[in-house]
Amino acid sequence: MLARVANNLFWMGRYIERSEHMARYLNVNYFSSLDAPNQLSQSRQFVLRSMLFMVGDIEEDEVVELKEEKVLHKIALDHESTFSIINNVKYARENANSARDLISTELYEAINKFYHFILNYPVDTFVKRGLYDFTVNVTEMTAILRGKIRGTLLHDEVYAIIMMGMNIERANQIIRIINAKYNDALKAQGSYGDKFSHSFEWSTLLKCAESYDMMRRFYKKTPTSITTLEFLILNPNCPRSIMNSLNQVYSHIKVLDPSKKYNKNSTAFLVGRVRSEYEYKYIEEIEGNIKNFIDTLLKELTQISKKMEKEFFNY
Amino acid sequence: MENLGNQIFSSYQRNPDLFDEIFDKDGSVKDVYKTLFDLYGGHSIQDYVRLNEKAKSSFFNQGITFQVYGEKEAKEKIFPFDLFPRIIDTNEWDIIEQGSIQRSRALNLFLWDIYHDKKILKQGIVPLELISSSDNYLHQMIGVNPPGGIYNHISGIDVIKHTDGDYYVLEDNIRCPSGVSYVICNRTALKRALFGVFNHYQTHTVTNYAENLLDLLETTKPKGVDIPNTVVITPGMYNSAFYEHSYLAKTMGVELVEGRDLFVENDFVYMKTIQGPERVDVIYRRIDDQFIDPLEFRPDSALGVPGLFAAYKKGNVTLANAPGTGVADDKAVYTYMPEIIKYYLDEKPIIKNVHTYHCSRPDELKYVLEHIPELVIKPVDEAGGYGISIGNRLSKDEIEKVKKQISEAPRKYVAQPIMSLSVHPTYIDQNESFEQRHIDLRTFTVLGKDREFVLKGGLTRVALKKGNLIVNSSQGGGSKDTWVLKE
Repeated sequence: MLARVANNLFWMGRYIERSEHMARYLNVNYFSSLDAPNQLSQSRQFVLRSMLFMVGDIEEDEVVELKEEKVLHKIALDHESTFSIINNVKYARENANSARDLISTELYEAINKFYHFILNYPVDTFVKRGLYDFTVNVTEMTAILRGKIRGTLLHDEVYAIIMMGMNIERANQIIRIINAKYNDALKAQGSYGDKFSHSFEWSTLLKCAESYDMMRRFYKKTPTSITTLEFLILNPNCPRSIMNSLNQVYSHIKVLDPSKKYNKNSTAFLVGRVRSEYEYKYIEEIEGNIKNFIDTLLKELTQISKKMEKEFFNY
Repeated sequence: MENLGNQIFSSYQRNPDLFDEIFDKDGSVKDVYKTLFDLYGGHSIQDYVRLNEKAKSSFFNQGITFQVYGEKEAKEKIFPFDLFPRIIDTNEWDIIEQGSIQRSRALNLFLWDIYHDKKILKQGIVPLELISSSDNYLHQMIGVNPPGGIYNHISGIDVIKHTDGDYYVLEDNIRCPSGVSYVICNRTALKRALFGVFNHYQTHTVTNYAENLLDLLETTKPKGVDIPNTVVITPGMYNSAFYEHSYLAKTMGVELVEGRDLFVENDFVYMKTIQGPERVDVIYRRIDDQFIDPLEFRPDSALGVPGLFAAYKKGNVTLANAPGTGVADDKAVYTYMPEIIKYYLDEKPIIKNVHTYHCSRPDELKYVLEHIPELVIKPVDEAGGYGISIGNRLSKDEIEKVKKQISEAPRKYVAQPIMSLSVHPTYIDQNESFEQRHIDLRTFTVLGKDREFVLKGGLTRVALKKGNLIVNSSQGGGSKDTWVLKE
């Protein structure tokens, strides 16, 4: 496979994954805030700030009043904002386009439909009353794409590269979401006796990662800071966990590196190293210093991406 | 107005001066179309409108679109597709197929000759200045032996049916003829919309193009290569024919590369893969001559591969089509095709050539200047239907302008009698009815080292504007599925 095309497919995977997390973050935060138990979590300003924080467009000014319609538009449908969902899907499609000879017709058609759905979504409807419909459609369509990727592509290096892109991105997004909600939980503590460890924001966090129900099944208890972070970071059986994403990246990179020789400069080696670091960690080791953990992990993911670029996508 | 007892054709108007592909002069339906006519007649206009919309969305979802650039976002449009297919029976098809092979072979021999011994020029059968004055004659190709001896691997020959009921070749395209992906898409779309009609006709498949193309390209692999590695090279995803490039690569199962994916080392071509460099032996190139190698041709080309031409000259890589083929699909060379076919094959043209007046010859120039209203004036080196003047459409002022243009540069123009392209019932959206529209046919011929292949079908192009004779998609043409019947 061409190195350039591999790079495009890698990013196609990343953009698809990214748009899904963004859409769900909008949805869950907005709608769970409507009847949140404490005043701060219920505040619209709080929610909008959290959204901007998650996409990396942090509003530093503490006093300025954010306009809901503007924020929603900026994150979802604004052609001008580089991180918007519409641009993510546009890039995903462009990347798919350049690799059209390698992917299945079914996958291409699904991406194409997805793009046209978003392109044709009326902005006015979206910002006034379309938030639920739009975000649910986006998450469903990404699920379809995932199905087409798994179900119609040859499970060879093309597949491995797309999956690596998706899983690296997933780890990235989950860690960003954890960061955003951790931040919210810090801010929300104290208001109406909401304790950090039992904050309402932990449930929201789990829902943002589509992991709430399964978390309840696993622990049979109301989410706390410890159980939520353990589930989303370290539990390899939770499909959205950082651990699972790293495991996936590791197994897919093995497809690209069939030699299995000892090579401490390979990306596979680095992924394995990062992965085994977390495999046998106690959550208590992380929970004490979550800020530090998030920074380290983000750095490590960037390192993996950079190394991968050098090893495989050099053209 | 004539009622044909058939709702969707009820408002069809026949112009008796035109050759209608489905109706005889007396208004009766031709035998081969009878069943089809009845099947379509079974639909109400509303049904048909719905089917038409469905077919459009099928193209849209498949992403078979071209882009129109707006202020913020590029808009995508589909190529207009007509659901009423064109049928070509076995006997007529034989003429087209044999004629296309004949022309392709003759052109190949002609190209070899003009880049080697130049016998045909020395003997004065084709004038030397025709070649020496052509921008498309590449001196870099002189003495180069293309692998397998093939120059024009792929030829797109445009054929029309005149009012006399005979087929004529309108032009030969042997640079990078495009359109074959639409042949297959049209078939797919028609099958999705109206699969029932295929039960009544035995039609040849068109989906075997890619496999034959790959087979034949690989017969011209460089010497010493056992299993060739073939790629398609494209200018990139913003090229208007990108869908076709990706379609061909996908259906041949080969890599689709851009210039930046390839590099040349010691006169061998490699592509950059995730596992390192991999040798490339056969390149189906969809980049024009001038852009393939900045070291040899246009130095500002970012699309090509530096050193590619040197590798080609050494015989280490096959380029399809070979560089320099453009000299032979020049409209001035076209006019010598009967002589060229006779010279190399000692045969008569199987498909007729349209009679052509060369403005470079004083007596013919005189005739042209005096008969502009009866002629089509064409620049010899423009592609895509640009720069054509149709004599009977010109005002007095315009005629004077054209005369002036020709007199200033006679070598640049040829003239032909106005050929009337046959018409085919075509559904016109705005009027919700079938109307006569002019059509042509682009055939696709592939030459290999020792055999050839003609796609049984081809692209029937429709001039959608009423009375218009120019069918190119860049000028708003549409297309139809084309059925070649089995015996």
